[in-house]
Amino acid sequence: MGSSLEGRSIVVTGSGRGIGSEIAKLIGLQGGNVIVNDPGVNVDGSGTDNAPAEEVAQEIRAAGGNAIANFDTVATADGGENMITQCVDEFGRIDGIVHVAGILRDRMIFNMTEEEWDDVVAVHLTGLFNVVKPASILFRQQRFGRIIGFSSGSGMNGNTGQANYGAAKAGITGGIRCAARDLGRYGVTSNAICPGAATRMTATVPDAARDLRSSQGIQGQQRTESIVNQLRAGSYVAPMVGYLLTDQAWNINGKCFNVSGGQVSLSSEEVPYRSINKAGMWEIDELQALVPSNLMAGLRNPAPPPADLSIPGRLVG
Amino acid sequence: MGVLDGKVAVVTGSGRGIGRGIAMKFAAQGASVIINDPGVNVDGSGHDAGPADQVVDEIKALGGQAAANYDSVAEMAGGENMVKQAVDAFGKIDILVNTAGILRDRMVFNMSQEEWDDVIAVHLKGHFSTIKPASILMRQQRYGRIINFSSSSGTIGNTGQFNYGAAKSGIAGLGRVVAKDLGRYGVTCNIIAPGAGTRMTATVPDSARELRAGSGIQGAASAAPVQESAYAGLRDPEFVAPMVTYLCSDDAWDINGWVFNVSGGSISVSRYPVAERSIFKPGHWTLSELDDAVQNVLLKDIDNPAPPRDDIEVPGRDIAARVLS
Repeated sequence: MGSSLEGRSIVVTGSGRGIGSEIAKLIGLQGGNVIVNDPGVNVDGSGTDNAPAEEVAQEIRAAGGNAIANFDTVATADGGENMITQCVDEFGRIDGIVHVAGILRDRMIFNMTEEEWDDVVAVHLTGLFNVVKPASILFRQQRFGRIIGFSSGSGMNGNTGQANYGAAKAGITGGIRCAARDLGRYGVTSNAICPGAATRMTATVPDAARDLRSSQGIQGQQRTESIVNQLRAGSYVAPMVGYLLTDQAWNINGKCFNVSGGQVSLSSEEVPYRSINKAGMWEIDELQALVPSNLMAGLRNPAPPPADLSIPGRLVG
Repeated sequence: MGVLDGKVAVVTGSGRGIGRGIAMKFAAQGASVIINDPGVNVDGSGHDAGPADQVVDEIKALGGQAAANYDSVAEMAGGENMVKQAVDAFGKIDILVNTAGILRDRMVFNMSQEEWDDVIAVHLKGHFSTIKPASILMRQQRYGRIINFSSSSGTIGNTGQFNYGAAKSGIAGLGRVVAKDLGRYGVTCNIIAPGAGTRMTATVPDSARELRAGSGIQGAASAAPVQESAYAGLRDPEFVAPMVTYLCSDDAWDINGWVFNVSGGSISVSRYPVAERSIFKPGHWTLSELDDAVQNVLLKDIDNPAPPRDDIEVPGRDIAARVLS
């Protein structure tokens, strides 16, 4: 048992399985108190099951740590408030919130239903607000807090069939950037993680979909093969999350980290890469001349139309 | 001859500001335009057919074609209606520009559920409610142009805009996926992060800007140049329209999935986030190993955009930190 997080009380949403459970276990092993939140739904959000959260909490206690299960959904204001309140009731305070909970409802945009959109945005993105809002009140009062949101390369780069998920995950990164600025002065840090791991959630993307994407020339998340497979375990994501929760990470704020296997990367800010400038209103013919050659040189269309499709504006031959 | 001759466009939120500038430019370049605007206040309250009607009148007076729509993008039915109106009135839809938006600024620890919900509904759901129905038709006809409106409040961050920043960053994420879902069908989707002085930005009080600057908080909101400056005129929302028009033209068929920052005469393209720096270990990191590698390599000389105030006690800075194992 370590003591890096001695006495720190943390809520981890979606910690009944996968990446969330690894984070909860690490916190427990470092002397922290954990609220293991998980309503135990299927990947698509249906159903409930208390077992996942209970089992993780028991595992943490068996290893000498402190943990209590919570079964609320992050998708409602009450659910978010409940788990924060439970942390304070059980452990006397709350020091951190790690929002890992998420579901998938993949569908191409032209087929996506309103429910598929709403459900994914509710759990991931509104879920972030539902836990950050109540926690931030307490964090600000006590002049200490740690907020960690889970984004995704799929949100920051885009992956076919995930308009809802990509929007929600990119939204989480935006929310984290803003929370960092609202709360940093009060000794609270807010950061985002873009993880890479093989879990129940990523197992739902069929190999057929991955093969189709790459054969169509669509850039997107690639399947990792061969010897790096073992580095896809969710346990590799936990240490950096644990580190961000420590006292030593007091000045790390408003950042997004890609964490996969043994690699931790700082994700670049979305700053301008190249620009064209004119001291006045642009004319269309000026843009026609300058945009492809100067602004967009070398920046490829990530999903170009096939050669056999008639495209107005594309020169034939 | 205009570059959008024969094209049909829907522009949400085009009764005022940036949306209006785009709609006027589209019409001048030959497009028939559905002018969508329920005519709400900046905070989303109220309703007024005036703004949309006025823009339609202005376009018609210049010899162009336009029709007003007063639906809210916050409902699926609203998005579906305006897309359908484009087809009913003008025969098809080629272009969709999602400019509609509201503000409900509040520090996150004070933000109400309603302030969160309303901003997410208009901006983020409001992009889905129009893109979903439009994408079906654009895919069928193997042609389309979609323009999303993001903001540096989302792509960089800002105080008092947890709802707006989340929605606007989400819109950029949505745009990148839509670009990949539809690119193969001759449809492009691009994202604009604009800078302009409009009714919306006028609501950010100078006192807020000064407070941010005085507290050392880095943020996206910057004061507009004072009127006497040579750069004051560059905040006119009309400056956003030319690049949007270009992206919606046939010429821009291969530009897809990018975020463009457009303000005054400045147009820049943002790169997709990349791994700027990395640390690696062929195994599980311990917390003390991470402390060493993160402080001395990964984040060396990287700033905190909102560092803790000097007058609070920060474990790790001012008082002893728990020892890492």
